[in-house]
Amino acid sequence: MAVAVGRALRLGGRWSAVAPAGPRPQTLRLIYTTTAVRRKNVGASGPEKYTEAFIKKQIEEFNLGKRHLANMMGEDPETFTQEDIDRAIAYLFPSGLFDKQARPMMKHPTEVFPEQRKIQWGEDGRPFHFLFYTGKQSYYSLMHETYEKLLNAQKYQDQLTAQDLPPQKEKKNLAGSRWLTKIELEEMLLEKLSDLDYSRFIQLLQKLLTLPCGDIEEKYIQKFSKEVPAQLKKVVIEPLKYDERGVAFSTGEGTRKTARATVVVYDNGTGKITVNGIDILHYFPVLQDREQLLFPFQFLDRIGKHDMVCTVSGGGRSAQAGAIRLACAKALRSFVTEQEVEFMRQAGLLTVDPRVKERKKPGQEGARRKFTWKKR
Amino acid sequence: VYSPPSLVLCRLTQVRWSRYNPSFLEPEANKEFYQKSWEQLSEEEKEKMELKAVRPIKAAPPTLSSSVFSDPMISKFTNMMMKDGNKVLARSLMAQTLEAVKRKQLEKYHKAPEDEKETIECNPYVIFHQALKNCQPIIGLSSITKGGKTYQVPVPLKDNRKRFLAMKWLITECRENKNRRMLMPEKLSQELLQAFNNEGPIIKKKHVLHKMAEANRAYAHFRWW
Repeated sequence: MAVAVGRALRLGGRWSAVAPAGPRPQTLRLIYTTTAVRRKNVGASGPEKYTEAFIKKQIEEFNLGKRHLANMMGEDPETFTQEDIDRAIAYLFPSGLFDKQARPMMKHPTEVFPEQRKIQWGEDGRPFHFLFYTGKQSYYSLMHETYEKLLNAQKYQDQLTAQDLPPQKEKKNLAGSRWLTKIELEEMLLEKLSDLDYSRFIQLLQKLLTLPCGDIEEKYIQKFSKEVPAQLKKVVIEPLKYDERGVAFSTGEGTRKTARATVVVYDNGTGKITVNGIDILHYFPVLQDREQLLFPFQFLDRIGKHDMVCTVSGGGRSAQAGAIRLACAKALRSFVTEQEVEFMRQAGLLTVDPRVKERKKPGQEGARRKFTWKKR
Repeated sequence: VYSPPSLVLCRLTQVRWSRYNPSFLEPEANKEFYQKSWEQLSEEEKEKMELKAVRPIKAAPPTLSSSVFSDPMISKFTNMMMKDGNKVLARSLMAQTLEAVKRKQLEKYHKAPEDEKETIECNPYVIFHQALKNCQPIIGLSSITKGGKTYQVPVPLKDNRKRFLAMKWLITECRENKNRRMLMPEKLSQELLQAFNNEGPIIKKKHVLHKMAEANRAYAHFRWW
């Protein structure tokens, strides 16, 4: 017994006092632990786990803080929205920091603390989910579910053909929705996915869709799809303005690389185009630029019907032409029907060209060109 | 995306770096395409239109225009002829070439007897397209290494590749095999007219390639795609 104690002491363990829980009076028990046992494997435990109690407490504190803030700003605590909070914080704690994420902010705890999975195993160490040891339990269980739905749909189809009933085939609205992106799916499953996993899942969903009896599984599919509004609805077209002579006109602004252009398009014109006070024949001697300026008019068959006055600065010859073209197309939207605006958008006239000069990188001569390779 | 199988998952992740998001579609500047009414469109085109209504579209490049004078083949050829980014010079050379072609054809037209006048083609765009078509090889060679040795295997070419080869041969031919004093438009117009009549060095080059492919027929089974 003394030998055993001596050996334990030499192994470098520590005696620590532990108070037992329960109604018993305060008695301490000495418990022996070795440093090997006490040393935590930080890497294996993963990121810090937030318990439910902790999150609840944070939410209570947030709500209380919100009411205090409303009182401080002299507003009604009941109708104090998140935007009001942001404004109040920006007023009380002004910060000149560049990064918006680094500035003081007060948001609901569910936005601040990322959603985490609860512990996946019970007290005995046995995991709850049968696919736990695959490593990606949510993903594989999702695949299993989806395949089950596929088999159901096929069985239903077989039943219909056995009864000689025609399979229901309704063409769905193809372009109105999109699948969840990989990031959204990861958020839903609370698990990391690889690109291959994601693409396999989407392929399975699409296979389910293409089956004739896939309509019964619509509810399930809707969980993984999102509505996409038509692109046209996002832009607001301004109404026409009238100047002193009673002629309708409309303005537009356009950019291309470093060039900035503003354009005023007048109705009842003869097709005269002036740039910075100079006629286009003199300002743009190159045919390609003039063709670009006339592109929107030619597309809408309104070549001799409008006058245009433009101001442009910055960029080079081609960039200025591109900027004026965009500004002109934007201005013409007010003169034209919605369908024609959609046609202009599909012709690429209303998109801002995002291509700019690529930066030069260190260790290279230009953006892509490397220095001459010398063997020695 | 609820998209037709042809567009399925073709680019979820970007391979080549581009300023545009992969979901952006190519613009279509052809006016006639938009003047077609809804009933005239085929099934595929209807699906494409529906998809285009929801997806963003890239900006039209400066070379693209809806005017009758802009031709995609001519723009491609001009870009290939361009050196050091001098688009102005390349375009003027192209314009001079087409003018030279027209002049030569008009000369022939006025000198020809009445019955032959109808057969002479005066439209330089038609001549250009036909000449390019005549220069396109049907089959090409690809080097495949098998068992240490490299074989030249006959391989069917894609449309893009055929067009590219035809244009490349034209341009290299005009740059190399000419007199010091002859200018590019003159030489190009000469080559184009020769190719239009299925004669000249470029057509010969195409025939040589076809013969090589025929000679290496034995290795055709090395191709696995």
